[in-house]
Amino acid sequence: MISHHIGLTLTLFTSLTLAMPVAALADDAKPLAGQSITVILPSPQAETLAADFEKVSGVKVDLQTMSWDDIRPKLVTSLIANTAPADVTEVDWSWTGQFGAANWYEPLEGQIDQATVDDIAPSSIFRANGHLIGVPYTNDFRVMIINRKQFTDAGVTGTPKTLDELVTAAKAIKAKGITQYPIGLPLSASEGASTAWYLLTKAFGGELFDKDLKPLFVSPDSAGYKAMAFELQLLKDGLVDPAAVSLKDSEINETMFAQGTTSIMIGGEPGRLGQFADPAKSKIVGQFEAILVPTLDGKTRSFGLPEALGIPASSEHKEAALAFVKWMTSHDYQIKNFDAGFLPTRTSALNDLNKTGRLTSGDTLVGQAPTVGALFDGGTPPWYPEFSSAVNTNLNSAAKGQITLDVAMANIAAETEKAMKQ
Amino acid sequence: MRPLNTSTANQSRVGSHTDAVLGFLLTFPILVTMVSLVFYPLLVTMWDSLHRVKPTKPGTPFIGLENYAAIFNDGATLSAWTNTAIYVVIAVIAETSFGIVAALLLNKIKRGRRWLLAIVILPWALPGVVNSVMWLWIFNPAAGLLNGALTSFGFDFTNHLWFTGRVSSIAMVSVVHVWRMMPLTIVIILAALQSIPQELYDASRMDGARPVHSFFYVTLPLIRSAIAIAMTQSTVQAFNLFEEAWVLNGTSHDTRPILGQIYLETFQNLNFSYGMALSLMVTLLSLIVSLSFVMRVYRDTRLD
Repeated sequence: MISHHIGLTLTLFTSLTLAMPVAALADDAKPLAGQSITVILPSPQAETLAADFEKVSGVKVDLQTMSWDDIRPKLVTSLIANTAPADVTEVDWSWTGQFGAANWYEPLEGQIDQATVDDIAPSSIFRANGHLIGVPYTNDFRVMIINRKQFTDAGVTGTPKTLDELVTAAKAIKAKGITQYPIGLPLSASEGASTAWYLLTKAFGGELFDKDLKPLFVSPDSAGYKAMAFELQLLKDGLVDPAAVSLKDSEINETMFAQGTTSIMIGGEPGRLGQFADPAKSKIVGQFEAILVPTLDGKTRSFGLPEALGIPASSEHKEAALAFVKWMTSHDYQIKNFDAGFLPTRTSALNDLNKTGRLTSGDTLVGQAPTVGALFDGGTPPWYPEFSSAVNTNLNSAAKGQITLDVAMANIAAETEKAMKQ
Repeated sequence: MRPLNTSTANQSRVGSHTDAVLGFLLTFPILVTMVSLVFYPLLVTMWDSLHRVKPTKPGTPFIGLENYAAIFNDGATLSAWTNTAIYVVIAVIAETSFGIVAALLLNKIKRGRRWLLAIVILPWALPGVVNSVMWLWIFNPAAGLLNGALTSFGFDFTNHLWFTGRVSSIAMVSVVHVWRMMPLTIVIILAALQSIPQELYDASRMDGARPVHSFFYVTLPLIRSAIAIAMTQSTVQAFNLFEEAWVLNGTSHDTRPILGQIYLETFQNLNFSYGMALSLMVTLLSLIVSLSFVMRVYRDTRLD
């Protein structure tokens, strides 16, 4: 009986000893297994996002998605109270200065390897006070999107490389009556109106601020001034729909360009290309293409508006959160996440996608990506929201004829300087 | 007799003590709720509004009334105050006058009134954003119902823009707000109308009163309290106007209400204490205007 017990014990011991390396191997592969994290991202996300990460890491993800506009108030109300809204959250490029100054997010330099930072060029946009507060997971920069069929119908065969060529093409389309208002340009008091002006400022070969963050757009010789004058002239010439003074960029994309009632989207978003190719949402399937941003001198330029993943400093699961950030910004997942409509932020992933032919207007996107710069060399400043608000409200007033261009520019500069001092 | 009297007095005291305890127990939950969710946060907000609470700046130093003084030096805030004042005046006048007329009409209808009331109340029951998005499409210059209807009646409203000028922009935002909030006024006044005894109208008719006399000398005095309540809620709702202006015209200065300014200062600019000061001002002004209606009616209707 005793020997039977000893034999059983030995058998069990042997079995356990043999099993231990296997268990240890599993633990090594999933050292964070059993932990849980919460993640807040804009909707929609890939349906299997949480399950995919749980599969590879053993970490359970409580994924909360909400409209992009609702995320910031939710984050801010939690963060001001020193509580973590989630373990991983969305961080928009425009929040970098404020969130960095408030020390709300965990510095990620040193925790993300240099090869990743180098491969993800827009990472520099998320640096505040020398700290990397977010890792870009979805790419967004501006190109221009045209309705090639309408160009061809109007007898325009080439692709505009300069702003003059762009206006000439628009006039030809209007003259042929193909579209009444060929250029889609938001002029409402909304963020989209600001970003279109930033792009055109770049297209006119200038910057918004100098190295000391002094406004560069007040002088009539400046690119910013010329860009806004250009916008108002397009409106005056009847190339832009007068309704644009109350339309957001999303409305122009969805109700005008996708319906074939406008021919050129200034400030085109690569993320919209999939939507324009969807017959359920678009009447221009097979007719459109992205083109490199035409500029004054023909040398294309653009700027980036990426979105990143950040870890609130008050998160209690930073290790698991970091693993999620690394996984979601990995090369392989970025390739997979492209199917959910997210353009990779890794140059390597973008190139690999283009080689497979899966990118719509891939050559343009790959060609535009290296020309993408930051709006602010030192990272987005804390007063950016006030600046943007000043831009779009004054542009809107100028487009309505309530103030002159000079007054608009002076107002923007004054409101920005006031915000800087606060 | 004395012992009996003492006993009765004791019983009365015990009874009143029991009533007091019961009253306290019954009001305790609401007292706790009000103190914890209203008065305490209000006091904290008042205290914080005297500090600089801006997370992008270190510390929260005491700055006294600086936030309140800044309100009077901020052009955007003053413009938003003006817009809100206009919204309040338009909303209170329009909702009250049209609400009384609509309630009187509904009161005359004897068959199917509840179904009609259900339809009338629909705009109030829908979320503000849904209402506003619906009206955004109605005002759409190219495909909107309003321009289409006006054009079909022979007016030249092809591609007419409703949000280019300040006057028309404020008018359109006000229309949407009044359309959404008027049903509540109708319901309040209709309830008051239905509580007026028919005998009073019969008596006034026997005294030779015409319908217009009955309205001014019977109906109006008896629904005065309801009108005050309706005007109070109209005032509070107009001070709280936000979704309509936000959805229809974004952050444009033309239509930006004070709540829009508070939102931008607090959640966009992260000027929390300035936002708090503005919020307290809105609460105070809304309270003063609403109380003026209630006190006026109280003075006019008190029986002593």
